[in-house]
Amino acid sequence: MSPIVEGFGALLDPTILLCIGAGALLGMLVGAFPGVTATMAVALASSFTLALDPLPGLAVLLTIYVSSNFGDRVPAILVNTPGTPASIATTFDGYAMARKGQAGLALTASAFASAWGTVVGLVLLMVAAIPLSRLALNFGPAEMFALVVFGLTMMIGVSGGKIVKGLMAGALGLLLGAVGRDPITGTPRFTFGIPELSDGVPFIAAIIGLFGIAEVLNQILTHRRGHKVEPIKEFGRWFPNKRDWRTMLKPLAVGSGVGGVVGIVPATGGDIAGILGWDQARRVSKRPDRFGKGSLEGITAADTSSNATLGGSVTTTLALGLPGDSVMAVMIGSMVVWGIQPGPSLFTNQPDLVYSIAGIMLIATVVALLASIMRMRGVAKLLELPQHFLWAVILVFCMVGTYAVSNNVFDVGVMLVLGLVGLFLKRFGIPPGPVVLGLILGSLAEGNLRRALEIGGPANILTSPIAVGLLLVSLLALVGPPVRTALRNRRAKKALETPAP
Amino acid sequence: MRPTFFKLAAVATGAVLLTAGCADRGGVTEDSSEYPSEDVTLVVPYDAGGASDLAARTLAAEMEETLGQSIIVENRSGGAGSVGLEYLAGRPADGYTIGYLPVETVMLGHQGYDVDPADYDLIGQMVSVPATVAVPADSPYETLDDLVEAAKEDPGSITVSNSGAGSIWEAATTELGNATGSEFKPVPFDGGAPAVTAAVGGQVDAVVAGISETAPSHSEGQLRVLAVFDSEPSESLPDVQTAAEQGVDVTIGGWGGIGAPAGLPEDVLQKLEEAFAAAADSEEFTTIISDSGNIPVNVPAAEYAQFVEDEHKRFGELLGNQD
Repeated sequence: MSPIVEGFGALLDPTILLCIGAGALLGMLVGAFPGVTATMAVALASSFTLALDPLPGLAVLLTIYVSSNFGDRVPAILVNTPGTPASIATTFDGYAMARKGQAGLALTASAFASAWGTVVGLVLLMVAAIPLSRLALNFGPAEMFALVVFGLTMMIGVSGGKIVKGLMAGALGLLLGAVGRDPITGTPRFTFGIPELSDGVPFIAAIIGLFGIAEVLNQILTHRRGHKVEPIKEFGRWFPNKRDWRTMLKPLAVGSGVGGVVGIVPATGGDIAGILGWDQARRVSKRPDRFGKGSLEGITAADTSSNATLGGSVTTTLALGLPGDSVMAVMIGSMVVWGIQPGPSLFTNQPDLVYSIAGIMLIATVVALLASIMRMRGVAKLLELPQHFLWAVILVFCMVGTYAVSNNVFDVGVMLVLGLVGLFLKRFGIPPGPVVLGLILGSLAEGNLRRALEIGGPANILTSPIAVGLLLVSLLALVGPPVRTALRNRRAKKALETPAP
Repeated sequence: MRPTFFKLAAVATGAVLLTAGCADRGGVTEDSSEYPSEDVTLVVPYDAGGASDLAARTLAAEMEETLGQSIIVENRSGGAGSVGLEYLAGRPADGYTIGYLPVETVMLGHQGYDVDPADYDLIGQMVSVPATVAVPADSPYETLDDLVEAAKEDPGSITVSNSGAGSIWEAATTELGNATGSEFKPVPFDGGAPAVTAAVGGQVDAVVAGISETAPSHSEGQLRVLAVFDSEPSESLPDVQTAAEQGVDVTIGGWGGIGAPAGLPEDVLQKLEEAFAAAADSEEFTTIISDSGNIPVNVPAAEYAQFVEDEHKRFGELLGNQD
């Protein structure tokens, strides 16, 4: 009991509360700014926080980590541009809701779902850190490959009912994912001799282009044609009513489960979890047809899942000393300099520190939730700007944010080209979600498959129960829906053929 | 009529101011004796947050004190580091752009990138990251010799993870094989941490990684470091012998130094060398680097230049063998 009291008690220091406040402000801002990721913000802040004591320093960094995962939802919902990759799945339903005049509800529901997800992840951290993280060690290349293949089956779900077009988009994504050095031999592929491409298509630039720039270009086109695009001025209801809460229950549960598991697997974060949670919720939903068209369930599941990874990532990091995602990789660097050695012995040597970390993240969640809800009125003011000014400002923001990633104009070029691609997809009704999936998962699948084969040949995959299990589930996910549809059609046909009495 | 005139006037004023701004910069850089009279940019060819970035930022903060000007760290990542290195080589040699030179400076040129160490004036080396080879805690291999023998018995059967295709740790694995007449199977991962995780989880037989990446897991009892590829035993792993002590005369690893586009004026180079030496010796710098698990060094320009030349030749042979 005493480490809990000591750990939480240490946070009563006003300095720490001040640090949490500063972190929250910074995190919300960088989150809302497309292109600036939580990883970058934490990396840059850590060069200042190294001068602080460990606890106040961690308060700043962890709060940035948590609150940027609230801030990034705002541009995702209002302008279809994920603030950080973690909110890719938020755009699926969030923007559609906003277009339907439910922006207020989308923002509030997203904030509550994000907060709920974070808290679930933290409970995982406090209750079961060590056994859970042992589980993560069983995930080698073979198991990772199977998990990623399962992820790829989601392309169908993300296609929003347009399966052929969705698969076309997915293939484009996989193709883009193949650009860069071969994961095993290091030979450059499809780089056209451009050194920047040897690390692959820059991911942040790609998602800002596909979602943000494509939307800006689309608005420019429709604006000139004199079409009256309904601007998002109507926020509608802000707070979910009783019925909304009931709708949100199931996706909250599904999202928590998916996010918790994905968070614990090393090196996977909120971007993949958000998409995975969204798709799982769609599968169990009574109204799967609404997903992608402004479903409250969809946005709830995506945001719960993406934020439930935070606790899982911290768990893997603290319990194993292995980074749970890219932000934690940066944070380990700071911790080591402060003399905190993440790893199993942290829980025996400094259990109070583990509770302090959980406590900081808990306070940060509350602060971020309150700030999200209060600040939304301010966001409303922003959107009273005439639309053509707003989109122009967003264009500039996207360009500056993308440039800032690696201070390279090349990334901005990639963003603009993919913006054109995105516009093309939009105009022909091809969903952009599968492109992103292919881009993230394609290279992951290839790298892990190649590694698994390199280590032990096909037997390496076929003898792993986890891998075989995941591959079977993927097969079911692929074969299941068409078979079900066929059965249903046949039954319907029979019902028609049976002459009415 | 009037508004147009005002507009023209405004544009003209703007143009004059702009030109003046540019001229001002040109004027300053001509006289190198007053160096540095404005901010200096330090290019880091990797993303913010990594070990190279930490070393560069910490050193920059200390160098500012001697130079009396701000040093702005600029991360230009991409192309395995080649984007930032090429950018640095193309900047004017006036001392206002310097850069962090990692071991990749001597490797990338042999891997098809347009990077040549001759394009830089070297200022000094400040950090060294010796390679280590480690096995899972429950591995049957107790010494470096056990591992090498196993690789000799069944060439290519011992899997060794590393941080990526073409990385220094993959090259170190090849070098270990060459030096002992054995053959390991390198398995490149996507970064150092996943490579170490694979060894902790027992997915591979061994891992070759920098000392700062393996030492923590060694002290936690998850990994057993068999050898450090350095000339002397490491402070962070006092119980581990060097490879040379175990009869394998190989020293290899990552390193980091500071350089500038070639052709700096003599007096500018000297000021930078002095500022570098003071910074690399400072307690703030050495403490942060040792705490992060790497080894702070302070190698002066001439010695560093010789080292870089030797390394460039060595990796030419090592990486050339692979193709």
